[in-house]
Amino acid sequence: MTPTLPPIVALLLVPGGLFLLVGSLFYEWADRKLVAQFQNRIGPRWFQPEADMFKLLAKEEIVPDGVNRALFHGLPVVALVGALTAALYVPMLGLVPSYSFRGDLIVTLYLLSLMTLCMGLAGANTIDRFSLLGATRALTQMFSYEAPFLLALLGPAIVAGTWQIGEINAYASKHAWLLLTQPIGFVVAIVGLMGKLELPPFDAPEAETEIVGGAMTEYSGRGWALFRLGRDVELMVGLTLASAFYLGGLANPLAFVLKTFGLLVVTAGLQSLFARLRIDQVVGLWWRIGMMLALAQLLVIAVLSRVA
Amino acid sequence: MESQTPQATPKKFIVPIGPQHPALKEPGHFEIQVDGEIVTSATARLGYVHRGIEKGVEGQNWTASMYLLERICGICSHVHATAYAIGAEKLAGVTAPPRAQAIRVLVAELERVHSHLLWLGVAAHEGGFDTLFMYSWRDRETVMDILEALTGNRVNYSANLIGGVKFDVDDKQADQIRRGIDFLEERTKHYLEVVTTDETFLRRTRGVGTMTREQAEELGAVGPVARASGVPRDVRVDAPYAAYEQFPVKLVTDTGGDLEARFVVRMKELFECYRVIREILDKLPPGDLTVKVKPRLPAGEAISRVEAPRGELFYFLKSAGGTNPDRIKVRTPSLCNWASVLVLAPGHKLADIPMMLAGIDPCFSCNDRLVTIARRAGAETWTWARLRQYGIEYYR
Repeated sequence: MTPTLPPIVALLLVPGGLFLLVGSLFYEWADRKLVAQFQNRIGPRWFQPEADMFKLLAKEEIVPDGVNRALFHGLPVVALVGALTAALYVPMLGLVPSYSFRGDLIVTLYLLSLMTLCMGLAGANTIDRFSLLGATRALTQMFSYEAPFLLALLGPAIVAGTWQIGEINAYASKHAWLLLTQPIGFVVAIVGLMGKLELPPFDAPEAETEIVGGAMTEYSGRGWALFRLGRDVELMVGLTLASAFYLGGLANPLAFVLKTFGLLVVTAGLQSLFARLRIDQVVGLWWRIGMMLALAQLLVIAVLSRVA
Repeated sequence: MESQTPQATPKKFIVPIGPQHPALKEPGHFEIQVDGEIVTSATARLGYVHRGIEKGVEGQNWTASMYLLERICGICSHVHATAYAIGAEKLAGVTAPPRAQAIRVLVAELERVHSHLLWLGVAAHEGGFDTLFMYSWRDRETVMDILEALTGNRVNYSANLIGGVKFDVDDKQADQIRRGIDFLEERTKHYLEVVTTDETFLRRTRGVGTMTREQAEELGAVGPVARASGVPRDVRVDAPYAAYEQFPVKLVTDTGGDLEARFVVRMKELFECYRVIREILDKLPPGDLTVKVKPRLPAGEAISRVEAPRGELFYFLKSAGGTNPDRIKVRTPSLCNWASVLVLAPGHKLADIPMMLAGIDPCFSCNDRLVTIARRAGAETWTWARLRQYGIEYYR
């Protein structure tokens, strides 16, 4: 086991803070590049997300009329903070989570949901019609994927007999990949993650051909940069969680890179395979199929683990 | 400020699409009134790209007018020039030689291939299927290269003259075209399969924007939109022009009337295009490319109709016997199809509207050749001085 890092390093450098910010931008680049390759495009250069970020941070931030200014400035910060905090409880880089307590799985999941909630509020905060529609869609989508996603991550927790992410990770490292024993949970978790990050085909909340930028329409400059950064961090945390639970745990940095990257290839492939789902189709898909599958799997696990 | 908040008018939540909007590549304005996600009414306002081309040609001679008219539409420039050339030839009392007629049809069909593939990409993008968008536009480059090799231009081909065409097709070019067409035929088979079998894409197209045959006839739909509703309407078949008599095309119709049917009709039309192109290359009639036409066309009126990729294109030409046209009126197919979108929109989801708009393959600048100013009740006329004062106050 790797020795625990001093808290100041863990918070500011690795695996929190700076590493998260830089690493998440790299994951954003990998995602964009992969989708571009699948679509027969060239895709961005490796420093494009960084360049975007610096440009946005340096830009003037326009505060539209009719918004609550405190909320307008505060929500992007809260969203980013939520994602960064969530990263402290997951085995980032294959290290032991920096902080850990009983039931931190639930806390992490809600910290990750903070992002969508902030986006919804940010959209509802403005009087822009595209933002309002985008906010409605973002929150509708959140209510549809959140429950199945939670159930999908509870499967490994029940098998491992703990709700502590670090211990589930250790359990997964010692046993056969849970992807093989709980395939449904894996699929629901991956698709749920894509819904959470509003990646295509679940990008109805920000469908540019319908509602321009969705909830984010009125954001420019700093606020938009922080939201984007938050989403990138969330992508990284989500990939870490899914590969720790389902791909045989993350024991070292090499396993971390290989497994999360492999998962990213899968999500990028899924992103380029489908046409955008309408918001009513998203809700239908999750509650009719996703929820039922996740529930069925959970039931099987619960019964089997009781028998065993 | 008060009137801008949607809360102040809870019954009317209007989503403005355009004049600047990511879904529109050209400016147009649509007011989509929604109740939640359900559309309750839709109105269109056009005229943002009015360029005064019809008036412009009155100041040009008959030859120069063609260059101007070709620029009405960047996608279907050749059919505009063809319609004009055929009309002008009617006025002059000449017919272009058979070889020129065949080359006109050849370029027109290549243009239809490029236009339909472009449309496939745009429509896929509106539905959030960017992979299909990228692939279809990549393959479209093949036909763009062919058109460039043939005419020298990728966009405004400038193939026509009054009385003929400007270039010949040699064997080397014919081979390049055949190779390109073979490749595109394979790809089109694949795309037809994608648009009829891809589950997520079908969810966005099947049963969306369904227009019955009666509605299509009542709303005056033209082109692939009408044919997708089962209306057998195609100028190439109904009133063959140029070389369509010697190289007939088969009418492609579908009974679905929804977006899926429009995809299917356009894709199947591509196969017809490929077949006609091959036939023309195999049986290109020998002979001259042009006949002589005097710069002054005799006084008179002529009507010319051609089938653009989007539907029937109508030209009215009037000559007073001078070197310049007296009046030219153009009616483009996009204008005929707007009603179908606006009438069918209510009841659909907001997410379907961009796809329905794209479904008629709209060409905005094609529409804009007439401005109607509707004066609202209680409107007042401002003097120039007052307008100027208002401007100064506004920007103070």
